[in-house]
Amino acid sequence: MSAGEALAVATGVTALGGVAWLPPRATRVCGALFGGLVAFGIARAAWGLPVGAVTGVAGAALLGRYGPATVLRRLTFLVPSLLLLVFVTTLLMYHAPGSPFAGEKVVSAQVEAALRAHFGIPKSAVEFFGIYLRRLIFEGSLGPSVKVQGRTVEALLAPALPVSITLGLLALMLASAAGLLLGVHAGLRPSSWSDSASTVLSAVGLSLPSFVIGSVLMVVFSLGLHWLPVAGWGGFRELVLPAVTLALPYAAYIARLARSGTIEVMNEDFIRTARAKGLPESAVVLRHALKGAILPVVSFLGPAAAGIMTGSFVVETLFGIPGMGQWFVRGAINRDYSVVLGTALVYATLVTAFNLAVDLAYAWLDPRIRSRP
Amino acid sequence: MAPVSSGARAASRPMYRTLLGILAAFAVALAAVGLTFSATRESPADLRVANGTEPKSLDPQLTTGNIESYISDALFEGLARYDAATVRPVPGVAESWDISPDGLHYTFHIRKNARWSDGHRLTAGDFVYAWKRLLDPSVGAEVAYLLFPVAMAEAYNTFDEHAATIAKKLLPALAALRARSPSGLDASSWQRFLSENKVNDPLRPLDDAALDALVTRRGGVTAAELDAFRAGLERARELLSSQAAEARAHFGIDRGVVARDDATLEVELHAEAPYFLQLMAHHSSFPVPRWALEKYGDRWFLPATLVSNGPFRLERWVVNDHLRVARSTTYWGKDEVRLGSVDFVPGESQMTNLNLYLTGALDWIPDYFPKQLGPELRKRKDYYGVAGLSVYYYRINTTRPPLDDRRVRKALNLVIDRAVITEHVLSLGQLPAVTFVPPGLAGYAPAASAIRSDVAEARRLLAEAGFPGGKGFPHLGLLYNTNEDHKRVAEVVADQLRRGLGIDVTAYNQEWQSFLDTVRGLNYDIARAGWIGDYADPNTFLGSWVTGGANNETGYSSELYDRLIRFASDLRPFVADPEPTLAKLKEPDPIRALLGPARTGAPSEQREARGKIRMLLFREAEALLCNDDFPVIPLYFYVHAGLIRSYVRGFTPQTMASDVTLGLRNLWIEGPRGAPE
Repeated sequence: MSAGEALAVATGVTALGGVAWLPPRATRVCGALFGGLVAFGIARAAWGLPVGAVTGVAGAALLGRYGPATVLRRLTFLVPSLLLLVFVTTLLMYHAPGSPFAGEKVVSAQVEAALRAHFGIPKSAVEFFGIYLRRLIFEGSLGPSVKVQGRTVEALLAPALPVSITLGLLALMLASAAGLLLGVHAGLRPSSWSDSASTVLSAVGLSLPSFVIGSVLMVVFSLGLHWLPVAGWGGFRELVLPAVTLALPYAAYIARLARSGTIEVMNEDFIRTARAKGLPESAVVLRHALKGAILPVVSFLGPAAAGIMTGSFVVETLFGIPGMGQWFVRGAINRDYSVVLGTALVYATLVTAFNLAVDLAYAWLDPRIRSRP
Repeated sequence: MAPVSSGARAASRPMYRTLLGILAAFAVALAAVGLTFSATRESPADLRVANGTEPKSLDPQLTTGNIESYISDALFEGLARYDAATVRPVPGVAESWDISPDGLHYTFHIRKNARWSDGHRLTAGDFVYAWKRLLDPSVGAEVAYLLFPVAMAEAYNTFDEHAATIAKKLLPALAALRARSPSGLDASSWQRFLSENKVNDPLRPLDDAALDALVTRRGGVTAAELDAFRAGLERARELLSSQAAEARAHFGIDRGVVARDDATLEVELHAEAPYFLQLMAHHSSFPVPRWALEKYGDRWFLPATLVSNGPFRLERWVVNDHLRVARSTTYWGKDEVRLGSVDFVPGESQMTNLNLYLTGALDWIPDYFPKQLGPELRKRKDYYGVAGLSVYYYRINTTRPPLDDRRVRKALNLVIDRAVITEHVLSLGQLPAVTFVPPGLAGYAPAASAIRSDVAEARRLLAEAGFPGGKGFPHLGLLYNTNEDHKRVAEVVADQLRRGLGIDVTAYNQEWQSFLDTVRGLNYDIARAGWIGDYADPNTFLGSWVTGGANNETGYSSELYDRLIRFASDLRPFVADPEPTLAKLKEPDPIRALLGPARTGAPSEQREARGKIRMLLFREAEALLCNDDFPVIPLYFYVHAGLIRSYVRGFTPQTMASDVTLGLRNLWIEGPRGAPE
């Protein structure tokens, strides 16, 4: 890494850290502006420039007037951190050996120069960063893919994202339902059958890799019993096996979290008070204990949701699902810079959004947290 | 009770709200599920083929892999096409052709009923446009080199860049070198200058004897020779620039490839190339619709806008899901095409491909199945295997001592037991390779090779080179790109080297891009490689090993080898003055005997004699590789193996040997379609 690049990264990190020290009014203004920018970007990509501009201005105004401070603070962080993300990712990609244009048959320097000019991928990382940002801001495009020619990155990711989100959502719901049920029950009755079951589930789900789980399910249910199709995407039947494979490790972890959360909450004083008042056990659990038991699960769910929805490469490859996970890995292996940056941006945005949702949910679940700004 | 009931009511409202919220989220999710599904429900295609990974592009001039080639072959057609049974070029868009006696002029007669899928008539001008586009330096087509036999094609494509390289890189470097060493250079400095600056690259097409002598020299150079070299470089630059300008002015207009009229295409070669018709069946020479490219640019091959001329047209392309082609209604031979639609299904997981086939969701997997199951799958009735035109080998870095000693390289070759690898590690019926060119090329008899399994001789050679019993021999790294199959072969080879020669060898892997970087920078000892022939002729295999050749990457340089390859591409200088070369060959007599008929005699006799001489020269070149110099360790020849359902009729395994076509034009479905046993 050259001195200039290192300096740029250091400056970016410092600026990002400095955002935390902004006074509340500055945060409000910045947050509203950035929020408006994001709204403009999305609306412009979907409906064109005029609608985008109106949405952006309206969004900024609404956020500035009515937006809660937490949200605005997050938005203030969002845009600079995405910028820094793009820059550091670009640096890392350029420093990795290889290039998007290297193949088994050597390409002459002239051919490579023509290809670089065509795709807008110069030899300097900083130059590429400039080209990428300019294209993103002024054309609203994430750039052309080198390995899947004729298509832009957004054209590739747009059909893949809903697939991954659908699969991820289903897997998350399965995992949450199964994990919570098993974990809470185990927590309420330690050393019972459900406690043993949750221990076994955790061991299996957390230690077996997903390609083993998926393969076993495929062998049993598709090849053995012929109940479900082997792979592909196109109907409810194709969803079942990949969703279960994805859900199992998360269910295992959620069960553990729910179990320990339940045990901890059930030992609190206010539970003893509720029982002393004569409440039936179900009311004690459902109304008082559950909220506290879910807290650790919720804070885990935020980043887990972002991770599960950006697709698991292994599950997608195994079950032939046209989702996002493949673009992550293939982009990196092929050194397809625009695809890597596009997927990184999507992932970062999802993580930020889900973390914000988690924080809001936390504040709602535990009133003690609400008092903090 | 009052506090409890009010508390219960007060607390249950947020509870119901939460439940409602969760149910609403679930409903939204289900709706999203429904949305992603509705687009992809459709009737299955007649034939569903597994096709490796997602194709990079469908542009015939820009694609390089066989994945894209299979699809290009279905959508487009060139002047010739491969006959499915004999795998020889037969008339495609051109209904007939005439070849001049000297083999330099081809005239193609294009069918009157050849049409594009939008109704336009297919003309000779479409081919001129496509070929100019392939060779245009600013387009950056990686397979442009295939059409270099055409007159002025190489000049059109590369000479400007070569002239620029000489002016901007070589001449300044030489001047700096001259200033640093006024009294000349020793051997290693000269070699370093040559390899660091890749001096031979721009000079190779010129065939300047004085320059060649200096470039292939192993010893040092004097100051006077350096000055002569500089003068030679200036000369070369002038010549390259002027030839490039001439090519730009004439190629496609009145030289090289010319459209005499809409139905007649005239091609002028700069030297006879017996494999030229095979190039006409290769996708790089396919025509493209000029009006579509000019209107849509980069996106012209997407389903909404693709215009093609082949037996199928593009119906749908869902990235990462499937690509569907349907029978074309404008193809001249549409009555011969019996398949209604074909699905190309990309799949990264070989096991999933096999499972899809076994449950009846795929009809044909050409090659993409787990190789460890090879021995089991070979027993099935629906398995086929055919020898391919590809070789799996290891490169040796001939610039690194002690690998620069050919006795050491020969010892490495002799100690490896290839039969063990092909029978027990690979077990798909691959053939052990002791030569570089695969067997089965018409008219070519490979050289007698010195490579065989002979551990005693290998040990003797190693001792002679100064490492008796492997003592003092440095540690060797055996590099391969990350892949389970390569790993298994590499581990066995490393073990054989260790036990046979007593040297210290470790197999290690790198991911693909890093691997390419390492090999190109000559930072390896031994590295795995593979080569697939572009057409059925020794030239595509042996052409890489010239000094400084882009795909050489071993540092191997032999003046005699370069000369033999040059003569094989253009026999005329050899026939004019054969003796200096013949004196250095192993079997000059058969060639000498053919010189007479090659010079005099009926035109067909001359052409036959020339063809035979060419093949014999290739044989001598290959003998240098596997008898004398050993810059590579050939291991085995690939087998194209796959599984195909019995109701797919008209399939002949030989089609797969060409590696560019699936022969979809000749297939049809007949019989019950259940899941296989």
